[in-house]
Amino acid sequence: MTTRRLRLARPTLAALDAVANRVYGWRWNPIYQSGTVAVVTLLVLLATGLYLLLVYRLGAPFASVERITQDLWLGRWLRSLHRYASDAFVIAAVVHAWRMLAQRRSWGPRTLAWVSGGVVLAAGLVEAWTGFVMVWDAFAERLAREGARLFDALPIFSEPLSRIFAGEVAVPSAFFFVNLFVHIGLPLGLGVGLWLHVSRLARPTLLPPRTLSWAVVAALTVAAIVWPAPLADAADPLRLAVATPINLATAWWLPWSEQLPPLTVFALATVVALAFLLVPSLTARARTGMLAPSVVDPRLCTGCNQCPQDCPWEAITMVARTDDRPTLVALVDPALCVSCGICAGSCAPMGVGPVGSSGRDQLDAIRLSTVPALRVSSDAPIPSNVVFCCAEAPASHREALRARGALVREVRCAGNLHSSAVELALRGGAPGVMVFACPPRDCAGREGPKWLGERLFNEREAELQPRVDRRRVRVGTMAGGDLRGTLQAFDDFARDVATLAPLPVSGDQDVTQDCVTSADAGGRE
Amino acid sequence: MITARTVIRAVVALAVTAAGLAALAAASAVRLPWHGANTAALRLSWSAHPERIEVCRALSKAEVEARNEHMRQRVECDGKAATYALRVRVDGALLGDEVVQGGGLRHDRPMHLLQSYAVSPGVRRIQLEFSRRERASDDSLRGAAAVPDADTGIFAGRAAREASERGRLTRAAVPPRLTLDTAITFAPQQVVLVTFDPDGRRLVLRVDTASRRVP
Repeated sequence: MTTRRLRLARPTLAALDAVANRVYGWRWNPIYQSGTVAVVTLLVLLATGLYLLLVYRLGAPFASVERITQDLWLGRWLRSLHRYASDAFVIAAVVHAWRMLAQRRSWGPRTLAWVSGGVVLAAGLVEAWTGFVMVWDAFAERLAREGARLFDALPIFSEPLSRIFAGEVAVPSAFFFVNLFVHIGLPLGLGVGLWLHVSRLARPTLLPPRTLSWAVVAALTVAAIVWPAPLADAADPLRLAVATPINLATAWWLPWSEQLPPLTVFALATVVALAFLLVPSLTARARTGMLAPSVVDPRLCTGCNQCPQDCPWEAITMVARTDDRPTLVALVDPALCVSCGICAGSCAPMGVGPVGSSGRDQLDAIRLSTVPALRVSSDAPIPSNVVFCCAEAPASHREALRARGALVREVRCAGNLHSSAVELALRGGAPGVMVFACPPRDCAGREGPKWLGERLFNEREAELQPRVDRRRVRVGTMAGGDLRGTLQAFDDFARDVATLAPLPVSGDQDVTQDCVTSADAGGRE
Repeated sequence: MITARTVIRAVVALAVTAAGLAALAAASAVRLPWHGANTAALRLSWSAHPERIEVCRALSKAEVEARNEHMRQRVECDGKAATYALRVRVDGALLGDEVVQGGGLRHDRPMHLLQSYAVSPGVRRIQLEFSRRERASDDSLRGAAAVPDADTGIFAGRAAREASERGRLTRAAVPPRLTLDTAITFAPQQVVLVTFDPDGRRLVLRVDTASRRVP
């Protein structure tokens, strides 16, 4: 059942991505950036919250918020910005979680990120609730009453919390102090949660591109100015409000919860929390085939220390060898490896990588299928270019490229592609090789496009050899919903390659020769 | 290079963003019903100590002297906290009939009452009775007063202190029977609060300014 639903989630996400790519372009697609957009909203919350804290009064909560709201120049829009940023945080975090779930990035080595992300989201919700209670308007009273009703069902407090709002006396400042204390203290825990969330990542990306960051801030600010957040009537314990405004992003559950017995609410909340925590177990898959972790061939490892640097998950360490060679040897921790295969592209001697996707496996595949196809194609009026693309790339794009005569080959991630595979395709008769990577912020391997570009054009180990004509190699981006962009990039490349003189076919040469030789010599460094 | 396609895309992006922000703002404060439009409520809320029902016994001189000097208490009491029956009638109809007891595992901590009853707006007669369920004599509540010996030595002034302490506890406890019988006009959306006044040792009504008592 879970698997079937996930199968539905993925095309739904792909369709949404495609729409967002059409509207914003893949560089600014906010859905790709949902996690980092959530961090931007947190920063907005922090900045605006500091100001609101200065003018908020525990002794007169509603009056002080009313005064803030009446301040047209600063208070009103800052308060609105604070509220909209909290809504945006919850929405962005939920989209981010759904994205990870739909892309099946919620289990194995990513379990800690999944669980800590859920904790951060829950903390964000509590932050929002305590923030709303601080205002002490009718919505705040409704939220506080329901919270007190639920807590009163637990054997925690000797005196029912609900009596605070009975109307015998004014709600004590101590209540607002505790509320404020939680509202201010929780962000510290939230920071710890975020740290845990990214703790297993190498070089975690916390913010979107600067332009998008400011665009998010600007958009929320415009919304705050154009549609300032309303302030409901002051809370009145001795009046029964017919209706109250409710914040759907954070308190959508409130009308339902009010209708249910407290223990039923707790039971439902527990079920939801358990379901969330069980997602890593429910979505876990056997680590075979494409999901097999990387392995190291110690005979080929030169101890160059490149794969630990390139691994986006810090899954590789260098350890002492057991033979008599003087170098270290790479060791992959399968519990941390997500099988992205990026290490395979980083290893000049091709001594590391997932089973079936190492550099040597890639060369074998090209020799077996691509080179013979190129030989056939070389007799055609227009020889076929070779296109490498990520296995996650949209199928429609791949088909469209095949229809244009390209020989399309898949790798598990663009960063998995070994530069020698590019060279071998060219030597095998391809006029040009184009590599289509996923949009950088949508790469399941996190850093595939970055390392690919560095290896092909900036001499990052394992670099494309200088003897290869760079005019015949290009990297593009293949984003769902942007078929036009994919085809345009390919057509431009094919046109440019067509202007070059034909390459002499050098046959099935062993492009690994240099690497193996240097490995035998004890290392490349 | 700015092309017509770029401009159209920018316009569409702005429109989609504006729509999204408008939806965000609208969803930020959706007005949803809470209480019915034509309802009122009678709310009961108070905290009070339950009475202590004890059987006290004065120890004999031999019993006192058999104990360590610092444990020589001349009157020993054993008992429990009283429980109370709450009955609420509105216009003669019984809305609430329940037992109220003190907090804590032994129910000897203060009791906290919070009940709310929906009432239709209009003039309503409210009858409220809060009475102790256990029958107890005054002696059992106050404890044994007879002290066989005069307050001398380490007992000097102790009988008076013990009597004072028992009196304080009695005064702090809720009276054995509290009643309220009155008519009041419930305005729509109004909450009428009944609470215990510890100084006057009686139940009192608390209403907002929109309400009025019927004489």
